[in-house]
Amino acid sequence: MDAAFLIESAVKVLIVLGFVLLGVPLIVWMERKVIGHMQDRIGPQRVGPFGLLQTIADGIKLFFKEDIIPSQADRVVFFLAPALSVITAFVALSVVPFGDKVTVFGRDVPLHVADVNVAILWVLGTTSMGVYGIVLGGWASNSKYPLLGGLRSSAQMISYELAQGISLVSVILMTGTLSLAGIVAQQEHMWFIVPQFFAFVIFLLCGIAETNRAPFDLPEAETELVAGFHTEYSSMKFALYFLAEYANMMVVSAVAISVFFGGWRGPFLPPVAWFLIKLSLFLFFFVWLRATFPRLRYDQLMAFGWKVLLPASLLNLAVTAVVVALTG
Amino acid sequence: MGEAILFTLFSLSAVAFALGMVFRRNAVHCALHLVGVLLSLSGMFVLLHAQFIAAIQILVYAGAIMVLFLFVVMLLNVKGETPLLTPGAAKGFGFFFAFIAFVELLWIVVSQGGTEGEPAPLQALPPNFGSPAEIGRILYTTWLFPFEVTSILLMIAVVGAVVLAKRKFA
Repeated sequence: MDAAFLIESAVKVLIVLGFVLLGVPLIVWMERKVIGHMQDRIGPQRVGPFGLLQTIADGIKLFFKEDIIPSQADRVVFFLAPALSVITAFVALSVVPFGDKVTVFGRDVPLHVADVNVAILWVLGTTSMGVYGIVLGGWASNSKYPLLGGLRSSAQMISYELAQGISLVSVILMTGTLSLAGIVAQQEHMWFIVPQFFAFVIFLLCGIAETNRAPFDLPEAETELVAGFHTEYSSMKFALYFLAEYANMMVVSAVAISVFFGGWRGPFLPPVAWFLIKLSLFLFFFVWLRATFPRLRYDQLMAFGWKVLLPASLLNLAVTAVVVALTG
Repeated sequence: MGEAILFTLFSLSAVAFALGMVFRRNAVHCALHLVGVLLSLSGMFVLLHAQFIAAIQILVYAGAIMVLFLFVVMLLNVKGETPLLTPGAAKGFGFFFAFIAFVELLWIVVSQGGTEGEPAPLQALPPNFGSPAEIGRILYTTWLFPFEVTSILLMIAVVGAVVLAKRKFA
């Protein structure tokens, strides 16, 4: 472990961190603008050109708001929960390759923070740790609605994690590797969305449920639970939950791109540009969904996860296994 | 050197979390300390070049099983716990099992490390030690029987749970 490696890693960590921290305000702005136009409004437009600085202004406002902790809250866990949410989202992004190898000062630098040979498991593991942020936030508030929101989210995330993992296993079967960089490397001739279309659909549906986005946003269903698990959170702690939700959208999109859409591959433009284009399209899709679909009912959500997505993913896995065994 | 520092760090945090788990009164705090233990252990697995086991440790134990634990603890909202055993009986059992564990450890130390002189030189690790492919291979060759027995055991547990849950209490 030489000094150059340490510097290289540190720089990459800073780049990814900065990218998420700057990217999230942009996504929030994009979401408000897109939903605005979809609902025949114009969205934010007062702060900065096209309202671009609106989210920054909101961030500053949140920063200076009073931080209220409920008197009966479990203070340590109340403090820990939003931090956990954010940390797990950032850590998951560390294994996603966002470009081809580049040569800097005569060094080959692969464009991902860490090349773990079990990258997919790493992402699944960290996102499953992300449940704690929400469950504990709901519990530590010591209040009815947050608790209900937290319980809902833990049930929802555990249910959808299974199908999500299994849908990824069928791709792993085809490639024989758990490394995201390795999977991207094998998509030179064909993106895996072609042979594994069903796996992609299942993965995406589960990804939306995992990030608690509409139409699966039951943990924070405002019509019944006020604001769900973050009802009691204010100021920067609330902002952290907000940040985590959007960072998690980036994680799901980045993994979907790497596994099913050829990662950074694409003609003419540089790899990083392709990665960003695909990421933006995915994030737009998330926003589009939110503007289009009403929220599911809770029993529909659980039935859909266990009775439709899980059997479908198992079936897909079985078919993939047979095909791989026959042609392999 | 770096490995020694990391090992010290992970082992100390594992012990600290384990102590916290035993001594905390609040069930949710106990569960969280257990998650801390599991995460520290996973760090030690990485130091042993077993990244796959480390990832599985986080994914299965910390990410799934402990979430379910937490879920149940929160759902039941245990306030005044009704202990299964009287304090005296609990202490008796505790000492009994601690004694067994001590004897086991002693036996391992005596049978393995009791000889004088230099410890046996460490063998070099095979090139793909700890890789998912290698673990999969030995799981389906050398350790096939225990592996299948374990899966049947889990199956029995699942079926048993369903049967118990479906039973009608008149």
